[in-house]
Amino acid sequence: MLALMAPSVVFVCFLFALPIVLFLFRAIDNAEIPEALPRTTAAIAEWREGELPPEPVYAALVSDLAALRGTPQLALLARRLNYAIPGFRGVVTRTGRLLPQSMPESPKAALIAIDATWADPAAWGVLRQQSGKVTDFYLLSALDLKRDPSGSVVDVDRDHAIFVDLYGRTLTVSIGVTLLCVAIGYPVAAVMAQATPAAANWLLMAILVPFWTSLLVRSTAWVILLQNEGLVNKTLIWLGAIDAPLALVFNRTGVYIAMVHVLLPYMILPLYSVMKGISPSHLRAAASLGASPVRVFFTVYLPLTMPGVAAGATLVFVSAVGFYVTPALVGGPRDQMIGYFIAYFTNSAVNWGLASALGAFLLVLVAATYLVLGKLVGFERLKVR
Amino acid sequence: MFRKPAVGIALAVAFMGAAAQAQQTVTIVNQGGAPAEAQRVAVFEPFSRETGIRVVVDTYNQELARLRSQIETKNLIWDVVSLNPINEAAGCEEGLLEKIDWKSMVDPRPFAAVGGFGECGAPYLISPGVMVYDADRISADRAPKSWTDFWDVAKFPGKRGLLYQPDQMLEVALIADGVLPPDVPKALTAPGGVDRAFRKLAEIKPHVRWWRSGDESMQLIMTGEVEMGYGWQGRVNAANAANKRNLKIVWPAGYVNAIIYLGVMKGTPRKADAIKLIQYNLAANTLARYAEIMGLPPANADTYPLLSESKRADLPGQYLDRGMMQGGQLYINFWLDNGDAIRQRFATFVAQ
Amino acid sequence: MARGTRTSLEVSVRAGARIYTGAMLVFLIVPVLVVLPLSFTSGQLLVFPLPGWSLQWYEDFFTNPIWTNALRNSVWIGVVVTALATTLGTAAAIGLHGCKARWAGAVMALLVMPLAIPVVIVAVATFYFFAALGLVGTYAGIVLAHTVLALPFVVVTVSATLQGFDPNLVRAAASLGASPFLAFRTVTLPIIAPGVVSGALFAFVTSFDELVVAIFLSSPQQRTLPRQIFSGVSENISPTITAAAVVLLVVSVALMGIMELLRRRSEKLKMAGGQTT
Repeated sequence: MLALMAPSVVFVCFLFALPIVLFLFRAIDNAEIPEALPRTTAAIAEWREGELPPEPVYAALVSDLAALRGTPQLALLARRLNYAIPGFRGVVTRTGRLLPQSMPESPKAALIAIDATWADPAAWGVLRQQSGKVTDFYLLSALDLKRDPSGSVVDVDRDHAIFVDLYGRTLTVSIGVTLLCVAIGYPVAAVMAQATPAAANWLLMAILVPFWTSLLVRSTAWVILLQNEGLVNKTLIWLGAIDAPLALVFNRTGVYIAMVHVLLPYMILPLYSVMKGISPSHLRAAASLGASPVRVFFTVYLPLTMPGVAAGATLVFVSAVGFYVTPALVGGPRDQMIGYFIAYFTNSAVNWGLASALGAFLLVLVAATYLVLGKLVGFERLKVR
Repeated sequence: MFRKPAVGIALAVAFMGAAAQAQQTVTIVNQGGAPAEAQRVAVFEPFSRETGIRVVVDTYNQELARLRSQIETKNLIWDVVSLNPINEAAGCEEGLLEKIDWKSMVDPRPFAAVGGFGECGAPYLISPGVMVYDADRISADRAPKSWTDFWDVAKFPGKRGLLYQPDQMLEVALIADGVLPPDVPKALTAPGGVDRAFRKLAEIKPHVRWWRSGDESMQLIMTGEVEMGYGWQGRVNAANAANKRNLKIVWPAGYVNAIIYLGVMKGTPRKADAIKLIQYNLAANTLARYAEIMGLPPANADTYPLLSESKRADLPGQYLDRGMMQGGQLYINFWLDNGDAIRQRFATFVAQ
Repeated sequence: MARGTRTSLEVSVRAGARIYTGAMLVFLIVPVLVVLPLSFTSGQLLVFPLPGWSLQWYEDFFTNPIWTNALRNSVWIGVVVTALATTLGTAAAIGLHGCKARWAGAVMALLVMPLAIPVVIVAVATFYFFAALGLVGTYAGIVLAHTVLALPFVVVTVSATLQGFDPNLVRAAASLGASPFLAFRTVTLPIIAPGVVSGALFAFVTSFDELVVAIFLSSPQQRTLPRQIFSGVSENISPTITAAAVVLLVVSVALMGIMELLRRRSEKLKMAGGQTT
């Protein structure tokens, strides 16, 4: 039996679990800087802030940079330091370019002559904070925080604050989508559960077909439907309901519509299976005792269906917080969620530490949801069919 | 009993990978859309017929980071890269591109007018970024005449399409703020120039639909998603030709000229073929075929006599003084040193 | 009297609920169907009303090397992923079924974990990992990553069909001198076949529809259909993307339809079996 399981377990451990662990480690990994600047990071540990570092630190930097000159590592280092000190990329590449060929008499004067930033104790303070093998830099950045030159944690300036908003937006959209799915899905599932078997089959088909359709196709379809000259706006104008087209896509409205559409089956299907299991005699019994339909609904039906609601809501919420493709296609720049920024910092900005930090927070959010709601409803219910 | 099929499959996978790599191919990345299709027809297909080298085309939106990630992870996907002037300089300095002595391979004289060859890249065309609107929707008397009009949402209501990228947009903002196009590099690099451009962009931000790809920019105008927008001349020509539309370029308002270069990815094992492809692309008769389709100004001056009368009329000849050139030591160095910080600021600016 | 009003209230509530359900079904179905007519447009833009009908976008789809290559990639990658995931997943499900140890639950959880984690994280983590191994931009890389995503479906569906299966049957066959392979082929396989087939279909569709992993791992040579459509939506907009979308739609709906039929059949069989015992 073990031999049968082993290939899959090895496969998943090696190609799934290990990559995720390594990915999370990147959020604190800082090997780049000590590797690129071995002498400087060693020398700077002795230095205490307040004034400029002594000559040996400058000399160490000169020899480190001289060793990096002409290699891709210099550009890499420049970029890495630029995360911590905006504008530092230019400083490092310029210094690398203009560095004298042999060790100057006063490395300090030589560096300051190349770029005045080397005369700024604050820049050195940041450099010292960044010299360890691990760093909290990315995790702090992902919370719009940073360390000031003295080492205490402070807010980043408003021009760069973006991530706290991002979590708020991701949560707002995900909760909004979940509530909409409950509100829309509940009556549909209830009607399905009470329909004749033949009708229920047709209804099920109508839900399963979009469920099976590629998310990409559905998101694209919404762009086509919702654009200014799309079917929805044209129909509303033709009906005389509006005069000018409504802005329905490339904004928050479009994100809500498309995400609800994509995730609604995840709500309806578990609800439907719970509702189908409720025997009608239960309800008839309550009604025969004289309870009004409204009372029957609130005291009998709703409590019995709550596990379905919770299971559906968990599935919808957990999928929603990780969404990337749909908001990218139907949202504007201000509607993008965590997933988009993970992709952005991986593919378009190459700030992998930050991508990993964002990924870590997203994973925490997902895990917490599973734990809380999973405990509430039982893990075995958390499947669609 | 389950292992054997798995071994067979692993072999099949390995074989598929090997088979794909065995063919002689060069992968080029450009900005997609109509210009890419024109390049495929006018350049790559005849090149493949003559040399037997297959050309694979990918698309990017000038994100230099995508070159960085390939170099740093040592997973080279591209061989030839189409670059705007800022990326040509930055990519070269960062060691993402091969330094190539183009002068020794291609006659440099016809390229002198566009500033000659870069240290890494060879120029092949000029791409003007312009203000454009749909003349079938907006009659000539209600049409915008200047970037000041473009910014005036009271007089010209409706959404605006702008490029989701600070280079070109900061320049346009300065023109809208009253800077003459040829003076834009000076104004942008002056102290406070960037703040001035961002302030100007902030005025119009609530009315902007940001686009990322050239095709998207034209789509927005043609479907009425925006009233007017910033777009690239080649895309306008292609959109008009393919859809029989009447999109109009407002040349006198001022425009941003970018010289587009071709460079070779650092360390590619297909360097020789990559250079061969670029040389082929730079030839006057190749560029003439391309210009006949796209109507874009070629970088090789020898191309002009080969063009038909109507294509020459499409080029912005009479408005040369209204164009801002993305070039010159001052301008390029400014973007090299500040590009990252500005791009970061721009991304936050748009997302806030 | 009171009773009568209640029923009429009930009737109107029911009618309202039906109309509402109908409206919601329209909301669910229309976006899926809207690409169909658009793929036959004679115009260049994705807007209604259509200027006329034409098959030009299907012609482009089936002749343009960019699209034919994407289709071929998707089918090939899907087939290899299906074979790998079905083999691995079926073995694991049988192993799990025969194993009553407490850690079997943990193994199951591990195997289905890729479904529970946002796919963008899986994709990015795999990208970093494969970059170090030189697997980015290779067919092997995409196949392996898709197999990780497809495996849980096989494990879950095969496990479900094994639920009523008595492992003693295999032992009995073995005691009669059958080799493990013979016992598997003649005893286990016929019983779990519907589960294996639907697991395999699920695995194929998972790979065939997958976009996010393909965004990160594929170079232009390995572009799959969804990846090419994604590029088409943002970078090279032409109605060919709707023709491609229709192909994608038809394939996935057809395969999933077959799976649904299989599921219903096996449910019926199970019920019938339950009644006779």
